[in-house]
Amino acid sequence: MPKYFYLVLINIMKYIRFLLILVVIKGFAQNEKKDTIQAAVIKEVVVTATRTERQLSSLPLPVQLITKAQIKQTGALKLNDILEEQTGLIIVPDFGGVLGIQMQGLDAQYTLILIDGVPLVGRSAGSLDLSRVTINNIKQIEIVKGASSSLYGSEALGGVINIITESPQNKKLNGEVNSRLGSFLTSDNNLNIGFGIKKLNINAAINSFSTDGYDLDKTDNEKTVLPFRNLTSQLQLDYKFSDKINLLVSNRYFNQNNDVETIVNNKNASGITKTNEYNSHSRFFYNPNDNLSFTGEFYATQYYIKDDVRFNDTNTILYNDFFKENLLRPEIRTSFKKRNTTYTSGFGYSFNNLERTYFEQKALNNSYYGFLQYDYNLKEKFNILAGLRYDKNLAYTSVLSPKLALNYQFSKQFSIQGSVGYGFKAPDLRQLFFNFENAGVGYIVLGYNVAPNRLAELQSQGRIQNSLVASNFFDKPLNPETSVGYNFGIKHNREKTKSSINIFYNKVKNLIDTRAIARLTNGQNIFSYSNIGSVFTQGLEFNSSIKITKNIEISSGYQYLIAKDNDVIQDIKDKKVFARDPITSQSFELKQSDYFGLFNRSKHTANFKYFLKIPNWKLYHNFRATFRSKYGLFDTNNNAILDNYDEFAKEYVIFDSSITKKIKEKFEIQVGMDNILNFTDTQNASNYAGRVMYCKVQYHF
Amino acid sequence: MKHFKTILVTAISLAFFSCSKDDETTPNTNATALTVKTYSNLHAPATGGGGQPVSGEFVKFNLATGQIVTTGDNWDIAFRSTTILVNGGVAGTDQPARTGVGAASIVTGTFANIITAPTDNLFTQDTAASYAIPTGSGNGWYNYNGATNVISPIAGRVLIIKTHDGKYAKMEILNYYQDAPANPTGTEPSRYYKFNYVYQPNGSKNF
Repeated sequence: MPKYFYLVLINIMKYIRFLLILVVIKGFAQNEKKDTIQAAVIKEVVVTATRTERQLSSLPLPVQLITKAQIKQTGALKLNDILEEQTGLIIVPDFGGVLGIQMQGLDAQYTLILIDGVPLVGRSAGSLDLSRVTINNIKQIEIVKGASSSLYGSEALGGVINIITESPQNKKLNGEVNSRLGSFLTSDNNLNIGFGIKKLNINAAINSFSTDGYDLDKTDNEKTVLPFRNLTSQLQLDYKFSDKINLLVSNRYFNQNNDVETIVNNKNASGITKTNEYNSHSRFFYNPNDNLSFTGEFYATQYYIKDDVRFNDTNTILYNDFFKENLLRPEIRTSFKKRNTTYTSGFGYSFNNLERTYFEQKALNNSYYGFLQYDYNLKEKFNILAGLRYDKNLAYTSVLSPKLALNYQFSKQFSIQGSVGYGFKAPDLRQLFFNFENAGVGYIVLGYNVAPNRLAELQSQGRIQNSLVASNFFDKPLNPETSVGYNFGIKHNREKTKSSINIFYNKVKNLIDTRAIARLTNGQNIFSYSNIGSVFTQGLEFNSSIKITKNIEISSGYQYLIAKDNDVIQDIKDKKVFARDPITSQSFELKQSDYFGLFNRSKHTANFKYFLKIPNWKLYHNFRATFRSKYGLFDTNNNAILDNYDEFAKEYVIFDSSITKKIKEKFEIQVGMDNILNFTDTQNASNYAGRVMYCKVQYHF
Repeated sequence: MKHFKTILVTAISLAFFSCSKDDETTPNTNATALTVKTYSNLHAPATGGGGQPVSGEFVKFNLATGQIVTTGDNWDIAFRSTTILVNGGVAGTDQPARTGVGAASIVTGTFANIITAPTDNLFTQDTAASYAIPTGSGNGWYNYNGATNVISPIAGRVLIIKTHDGKYAKMEILNYYQDAPANPTGTEPSRYYKFNYVYQPNGSKNF
């Protein structure tokens, strides 16, 4: 009994200490010296590419790793800040200020965003908003390029971005508190605490962010980005039953309030958009021996966004839209190693539903799936990775996604990689279940799955003049958008220099787009969705980093990209595409060389980074540059395609720099300036606010 | 390192290999003796519009003389705002009577490359409810941009007109704004047509 009493007492003491830390940070410094820079020395292990732990350099796929140390140095706040500095990744603003990512030239809706291996949901307009993910409490970010549906299913056409959060492994109480204040009254505050009580490890992280927004166009009465604030909290519990069994439970909550102000018919309206997101992720690990592991995973998430915007004078509602998506996903995985081969398998069920404005009822999109992976190594020279996944979908066509990848290590320094993989993106629930009638103009938009019944209803009401599609148009279920991605790369690694080159080609088929399906008696059309068209993206990516001295490191990256629509290429071949001569206004036929490609693609993107350490002064300095060549967002000459006679957004370069000074190992002060040249482009790049200055203080304990 | 460079160069050339140039040159086949005429600032006003019923006189034009017709029935086409009539078929309300055999056909191509008019079955006339040159964005000769309110003639659309007396002409509308600004913003005075046309007086379909 006294022994138990003693243990309980110690734990209570630890708990009180934890609480005190929350109130008074000072005075609870532990004796351990923790050097965050040390994390970079640890071997680069990633989990996203194979769902098993793998050394980065041995992978047969193009994978990028962003470490915590790199994130900290750059002073990034949100996921978009750090991703836009990576080679071949471009941040693209979407409807409603959402910031998505373009990878290997594929749209934001074709990249899967994961937190600890499970997907974030809430793509209300197609893109997932990266600016809602704080980089606080992130251990590393893993980016797998190329189609990866063989492991992850839908949305992994362009690739996968997996955010790995800091996992609890602390015995002693430790943590950090930091605060950053910058231009546009942007403030970001974090508190992270970790401690262990015997077999239980706990990590808690809180991030609060607020900004006053900014106004790029002073001539209009509307601000470009209105003030918003958000709070992210995460609690992770890790309980070790034994060396072989442990349970990891992670709960995350995100809450955001965006101010809304708008002018409709010369009347001012204002209100708020509220976002609430929960993620509850539990993993049960059982490793009976070194060669066998079982993982049972249960994931539940909800994304709920709701507008309440009213006219200021009458208080009548202007918008009251909502979007509420739920995902519940149990999954079981097994990994079995025998000699040189690792077999990984998994199966799961995905319960996905969505309620939103313009849906008649809750839309269901359930599926079950299974995957297998074969990972064979021969004498550390040769690695074969083969995977296969089957997704049985209940609301649209089912999909089989294979993948094959090879790595050959020529010498210690040289290796080549090649891979081919399938990717798919499920029709989104809007494309299946939308039921919208525009009251003002009178047109109707119907999701593919609700269209037949609704058409029959409209027919019986005598509102349809004539049909524009064959009677069997809706007989077959809508197909997912599918892709095949090829990657071929060379890596060269030496002690002080690292370079890699990767050539990619992606072909996406069955793109889903709107089309008119019937004409109403009021002269307007009924639109629905169908599989039409195909696009391709191809290019080359180059990355290199050099340690010039022990304390100076530079890195650079470049991507060359061609992204085009195959139908447009055919139309040009068939002499069906024209433009007007800017001087004579006469029409002429466009040549293939006049076709610039898909909207919002730059041929050239590049980055350069320079990191300097001055150990004697405990000073860290960095300078980063990001370049993007010209691109076009709009067809300005009315032929529906982007050609050399259109107006383009100008190329730009963004320079960022920051200095960090450590004081007595515990304190850190960082000052920085982003977008030093004060670049803005109201029309085309509303995500750049202009020059940003900031100061951050941090204390670890 | 030398080895690496060789591989690198090969890799780069591989990446560029698949983007071969596919340019084709189009032969200039405009070898006819007919002349291309241009008419600028044909003002075709209307009252109403923007949700209200459109009314007002149509401005009539004769392709043989290249003049606006103020009296008589010898007109071939008539303009009011974005609507273009042909002198053939049935008149709708508030429209001039159709006294001729006029019709129209819309073909795709460059003005110079269209050297014959299409077969008769591809010509249509106006009816009380529809037009030989359809109205509405994307349907006939123009596109309408809802964001900027700009009317722009669709590139590559050539109107083949059968005149009131059964001759053929081809025309391309170049601009809808006064003095034909290259990139109209939507704020310029509108309903000012600029167009190129070729009239074939011998009654054949060749231009």
